[in-house]
Amino acid sequence: MPKNLPLKGIRVANFGWVWAGPVTGQTLAFLGAEVYKIESKARIDLTRKLPPFGGGEPGPDRSLSNHACWAGNGSVTLNLKKPEAQAIARNLAAKCDVVIENFGPGAMDRIGCGYETLRAERPDTIMFSMPAAGLDGPMKSVRTYGLSLTSLTGLDSLTGYTGGPPIPVENAYSDPYNGILGAFPVIAALRHRDRTGEGQHIDYSQQEAVMHMVGPAFMDYALNGRNAGPIGNRHPLAAAAPHGVFPCSGDDRWISIAVLTDDEWNGLRSVMGDPAWTSQPDFESLQARVTNIEALHSQLAEWTRHHDDRDLAEKLQGAGVAAAPVLNVGDLLDDPHYKARGTYIEVTHPLGFKETIYGAYVKTSRTEAAVEPGPVMGRDNDHVFKEILEIAPDRYDKLIADEIIF
Amino acid sequence: MPGALDGIKIVELGQMVSAPYCAKLFADFGADVIKVEPPEGDVARTWGPFPDDEPDPEKSGLHLFVNTSKKSVTLNLEEDGGRSLFLELVADADALIENNLPKRMRGWGLAYSELEKINPGLVMISITPFGQTGPYSEWNGYDLNAYHLTGASSRYCGRPGESPLEHGTFSGDYFGAVAAASWGLAAIYGRDNAGGGQHVDVSCAEAIAASFVGGQNIGAFAQDGKFDKRTGVGMSLGAPATIMPCKDGHVWILCLETAQWNGLAKTMGDPEWMQMDIFQDMFSRAQNSDAMYPLIEQWTMEHGKMEIMERCQANGVPVSAVFTVGEAAEHEHLQSRGYIVEQDHPVAGKIRNLGAPFKMPACPGGPQSPAPLLGQHNDEVYGELGKSADDIAQLRSDGII
Repeated sequence: MPKNLPLKGIRVANFGWVWAGPVTGQTLAFLGAEVYKIESKARIDLTRKLPPFGGGEPGPDRSLSNHACWAGNGSVTLNLKKPEAQAIARNLAAKCDVVIENFGPGAMDRIGCGYETLRAERPDTIMFSMPAAGLDGPMKSVRTYGLSLTSLTGLDSLTGYTGGPPIPVENAYSDPYNGILGAFPVIAALRHRDRTGEGQHIDYSQQEAVMHMVGPAFMDYALNGRNAGPIGNRHPLAAAAPHGVFPCSGDDRWISIAVLTDDEWNGLRSVMGDPAWTSQPDFESLQARVTNIEALHSQLAEWTRHHDDRDLAEKLQGAGVAAAPVLNVGDLLDDPHYKARGTYIEVTHPLGFKETIYGAYVKTSRTEAAVEPGPVMGRDNDHVFKEILEIAPDRYDKLIADEIIF
Repeated sequence: MPGALDGIKIVELGQMVSAPYCAKLFADFGADVIKVEPPEGDVARTWGPFPDDEPDPEKSGLHLFVNTSKKSVTLNLEEDGGRSLFLELVADADALIENNLPKRMRGWGLAYSELEKINPGLVMISITPFGQTGPYSEWNGYDLNAYHLTGASSRYCGRPGESPLEHGTFSGDYFGAVAAASWGLAAIYGRDNAGGGQHVDVSCAEAIAASFVGGQNIGAFAQDGKFDKRTGVGMSLGAPATIMPCKDGHVWILCLETAQWNGLAKTMGDPEWMQMDIFQDMFSRAQNSDAMYPLIEQWTMEHGKMEIMERCQANGVPVSAVFTVGEAAEHEHLQSRGYIVEQDHPVAGKIRNLGAPFKMPACPGGPQSPAPLLGQHNDEVYGELGKSADDIAQLRSDGII
């Protein structure tokens, strides 16, 4: 049972769609906020259409990946193409501490829910906007998907095999990253409001937030005018060797090994049985190992490829070496570590099927996070429209019949 | 203008990237962050990059980036006197942000169970590769090990048959750091709701394995027992969706919807082959991508990446140039938003740095002061604990600070 939730009493209207915006709502919800995603059957979010579906039966309330990524958000349905629905959305926003959106700049104005409009109704509104490249500037209207947004930060230029072309990351790392980090300025703004009475419009540029990930490479550019390229799995600042992923026995099995200190190097040598090549001057010091990293890595790979990834990781860990198996998706559910931490949980969806989602991905000793199955569209309509907004039953029924609440 | 987090007092016992970056987010938005370093300094001070590649603990680029707006004190936790001084620092702190392996914290006598005794309101934010519990929590590990334990690399990056890849940066550390920042700030802000302080346990691996990889894959695997792996291409279901070479670098060619495909055709001068039936939806384009990609590449190879991006964007196609870090930094967009800031560092001189990751107009953030010199604030911080000049001199000669 959820308990001791730090954000209890905070109410959020979440206009976010696809992935990043819903994850900000999810993060706040796990921590106790009451979050209502505003969506509509008039334009069903594309992630609700992604297979596979619960029980194998297609439907917008059954997408398993959508549910995992949105769990925690509630749902109300409003057809925001209609002015009356926009007015209701404004009323809801006025009853919320925070409004979240991740459309392009100007989209909220076009549905009558821009910051200035909302602020007129509730002066201390906190609006959190997370467009791709921020609310202003010459590139503010840039079109990207989450998986290509990173190309605008320099991050993609660093990803790939050493010396080769950039290799794409095949899904949007930046979406959950920004979704989770987005909760930080929202909570900071709540604190500021509590202290001053002042709301604000947070301009969260996903490009700028993600570009912090290339901070170390940016400093090399700023200090030395150098632009890095792909470096494989090598240490980003060449401060460790070996530092990579090495083949193990079996199909597509690998182990990660990172050696930063002499103690770790000696541990690795001892597990290998101190083969002669490891005592060559080429590998004697960290600096020498970094210089000769290519030769070092091929020697090491010749050794690792005869070993089972998990057995070898255990052995190396026994000697103090930072080594771990490289897991694939099929390994995750049964991995003893994730099992012990309850990383994934099975819940029963209100529509009757079981679904596996992730739970609190951060463990808190006093707080027990509020995790629920993915929301059915319109799950919270009755509560929000009748109780929070006090819409009379007759009018409520008519709004449904008129496909305003839809 | 007061910072959003003015008045929050944080002690950082962190090195390298994860805890320092998390604490930087707090410091850049106004929290008072005291970075506790061992006498030889955070190892990040030795990692660089250095101006002209000349090592200097005050000029390491990683340190200059990740430790802005903080105070630095030195403290030797291997000495008994070091531990008690640390406890004094933590006694009235709102939060401790640290990234030491759990056994190391226990070895120092600084486990949460010890710290909560002296400060029940303390929010202890621990960011480690594997977390405080579970069979791998006693393992040694770094960013690399955490990232590859998540399924992210096997699923999403690298060519089939070749090694899975991490991005060329500390992706695992960063992900853990931002999860820690949000959950940690919630625990501080909502301390009364929660009923006191608590231990916020972040495993970098778990945060990614859950929200990135798990979010998109785990429900499917649990139900159907099937899973996918990296393709090396970009996206296997729809096309074009890949990084492609062009005249002067690379471009992300993404074009899934019909209007986008038509926009791309227009940009490329309406070549006949793009009208073929097999290229009329993203699924059949993906099935025929071996035929399609070389045809697009012929065109991209004749044009520069900025030109391709500009012309595609003008036609509504979400194509973007793969910016180098320098191109991103110098882009007029980031310049006009004031994202790149200049700082005056007492040793490194004038340096450029990245600005705030998000703009909060009512309480702006971003680097307030350059990264501190090693032990720069010893006198000030220990003085505030009530130590006299003589006490501090004694601590120095005892090798504690």
